[in-house]
Amino acid sequence: MGSTTLRRGLRRAGILLLTLVTGALLVFLAMKAAPGDPALSALGENARPELVAAFRRDHGLDLPLWQQFWAWISGALTGDFGRSLTLAGGVPVGSLIANRLPVTAFIGLYALLLAAAISLVAGTIAALQRGKAADTALTSLAVLGVSMPDFWLGYVLVFFLALNFPIFPSYGFVSPVDSFTGALLSGFLPALAIAAPMAAVFARVLRAALLDVMHRPYVQVARSIGHSGKFVFVHTILRNALIPYVTIIGLQVRYLLGGVVVIERVFGIPGLGSLMVDGAFGRDYPVIQACALTFLVIVLMTNLAVDLLCTRLDPKARA
Amino acid sequence: MTEQSPRAALSRRALMGAGAGLASAAALGWPRGPALAAPTTLRAAISGYNVINTLDPAVAALIPEYYVIWSLYNGLLKLDAQMRPVPDLAESVTVAGDGQIEFKLRQGVKFHDGSVLTSDDVKFTLERLLDEATKSPNRSKVSAISQIDLPDAQTVRLRTSAPFAPLLTFLSNARTGTQILPRKAFMADPAGFGRKPIGTGAYRLRSWEPNQALKLSAFADYFGGAPRIPEVEIPLIAEETSGVTALLGKQVDITSTAPFADIPALEKRTDIKVMKQPGLNTRFLSLNNRKPPFDDVHFRRAVSLAINRDVLVRVVLFGEGVATPGLIPPSLTAAYDPAPKPLSTFNAARAKEELAKSKYGPGTKGTILTWGSGWWKRTAEVVLAQVNQVLGTQLNVEVTEANTVFARIRAGDYQAGTWGWLGMIDPDEYSYDLLHSEGWRNFAGYSNPKLDALLVQARQELDPAKRGTLYRQSEALWIDDMPVIPLFCSNIHNLLAGNASGFTQLPYSNFGDQFASMSLG
Repeated sequence: MGSTTLRRGLRRAGILLLTLVTGALLVFLAMKAAPGDPALSALGENARPELVAAFRRDHGLDLPLWQQFWAWISGALTGDFGRSLTLAGGVPVGSLIANRLPVTAFIGLYALLLAAAISLVAGTIAALQRGKAADTALTSLAVLGVSMPDFWLGYVLVFFLALNFPIFPSYGFVSPVDSFTGALLSGFLPALAIAAPMAAVFARVLRAALLDVMHRPYVQVARSIGHSGKFVFVHTILRNALIPYVTIIGLQVRYLLGGVVVIERVFGIPGLGSLMVDGAFGRDYPVIQACALTFLVIVLMTNLAVDLLCTRLDPKARA
Repeated sequence: MTEQSPRAALSRRALMGAGAGLASAAALGWPRGPALAAPTTLRAAISGYNVINTLDPAVAALIPEYYVIWSLYNGLLKLDAQMRPVPDLAESVTVAGDGQIEFKLRQGVKFHDGSVLTSDDVKFTLERLLDEATKSPNRSKVSAISQIDLPDAQTVRLRTSAPFAPLLTFLSNARTGTQILPRKAFMADPAGFGRKPIGTGAYRLRSWEPNQALKLSAFADYFGGAPRIPEVEIPLIAEETSGVTALLGKQVDITSTAPFADIPALEKRTDIKVMKQPGLNTRFLSLNNRKPPFDDVHFRRAVSLAINRDVLVRVVLFGEGVATPGLIPPSLTAAYDPAPKPLSTFNAARAKEELAKSKYGPGTKGTILTWGSGWWKRTAEVVLAQVNQVLGTQLNVEVTEANTVFARIRAGDYQAGTWGWLGMIDPDEYSYDLLHSEGWRNFAGYSNPKLDALLVQARQELDPAKRGTLYRQSEALWIDDMPVIPLFCSNIHNLLAGNASGFTQLPYSNFGDQFASMSLG
């Protein structure tokens, strides 16, 4: 048993590392294949050809691709992600990431919590009120939630809740390090904009799963034993329905990161997402690669966590 | 099964707790965090850009870098509202008959580190710009200087190898790179100077979060008197639209730009102020004169004649600009020629005549490069629709991003593309650089010996009136060949909160230079 777990763990770690290196290589090649030039971002449209050439030379951009990748990956393995080329000329990328990761983590978790909270309530009500007005209303709302682009929803939220009814700030973000309530308040609109489409997906999955489980024989058995309706719902129905629900939450983390990228820019949140967008526009290769790698780690870690959690929720998978 | 119930309970509790926390936070109102400070702080947002790589004027290249540089430094001169160079660090300027220029420096001007400005600092600044190793994008602005003499600590004498009319304009505190640096402070840490700038300006840099915000504080020893507002916070807002919502939501007091589409609605509001005027910029269709179909002068003329520029201004800029017959923008009044030119005025019949003379006929294919999702893309789309409709051509649009378009235009890997320049302050930059056969922005590959001679003559002509006439002649000359297709010049905008005042807008999109004269409430 122990050695199987160890072997399984080692295999997982090996796959993880391989995925990371492959991912990094793919991002590197994709960025290099895209036209554009960091020198033009850093030096602006007034850059003379000789200055552009000098910039490329100074930053090793004229070296063969494999040498550039090797220089980057060997640095990254020792924790040195290089220096920004075009966003914050010369600032170490590691420190940019370190400053911004907590902000993105905060907004991401905030959005995830909001989405989970909304969907737990909405999905449960929809399932319990199946076919009734509440179900129809919530299901329609979910379709709307999925169809709305998050940046658009962001502006709509700002329009209503920051400009028409000035409850939340229309722009800017207070770091949770400076003021936690400030962060909750200034992060609410962006988190909600990211959460809405996710909540819609979660709620639909939860509703379907609850309905599926409700009519299983073991639920009828539990009822016939004499457990109360509430007890059966919490311990039998909800618990079994949570497995697809948790899985979908894990899968949606990828979309969450996508949402973060867009929404951070709209709201001016100094997170990893806006850094990556700026990096991509500016062709700041070290910044993009480090951001992509960080996102990749987050996704892989989430997948791992979901796997483990599902194993815990589902006794059959533990065997 | 029982081990799971605390988890379920926890999530319910957590959920309710989170909800309650939000409700109470909302009831308490927005804490006055750093983004919302007391009126002793001017919150001057740079909108539409969020990259500042350096605050060293000699190597700065991007507009947002200059927005800040203008508040930290001074030039020997500055530009007045009519774009004329007037004294700043220099108290007086004398141009001698032999072309020698003498600057008398203001007495007792201090740098932020407390040291006193001398003529040696001016010499240092100029020599550093001239040094190839500095890699300044603005080297050519001063490359005519052949000799710098310092008779005393308050006097600088410049000699040029040949007369160079734009020199005084280029020594102003604009997008020029000629802002004066302290030699001693710079030499103490040359590599770090761009991050820890020291100038003579009304404000000095206090802190800087990359891509996020900068903070400035008033320089008490500023030679123009300590500014009224003690602190300036400069959020860097990447999205122009977010800049508008930040201002409307009272998170900032002024923005550096505003989206064209929002202007008509914003102008109706009474709680904010919209400042605007025609800017120093030129927007055109860049054509690759070396590749089909734009290698044919008749085809180029036909396309130009098929474009209705007034419609472009209406639908693309929402009226926030003017159709321009040439490349020199209207704000350069001495050199601008307002007379419409037949070849850059919509005329469908003549367009078809030109097409008939061209070796390319209706059905000709071609690609216009453009980028993004905003007005640049719309410019390309409207141009394409107009041209295809009038000429029956099959032009199409390729949308990518600005960096790619610029890289491809520079490399000659294009047929046509939307392009433009902004913030350039002398007609020489809009003419010589773009159309002289050796002009470094001449990506069209255009060459006309007559025009070359005229543009050299114009940059050497020191009499402003005569010089203006030469530029008017030059525009009339090249327009026949239509190497690029001029489209329009757009307005520049600043949005101000209702209680903000004291900002004088100049056509080159000035910004930081006005902080010192601003007040709130």
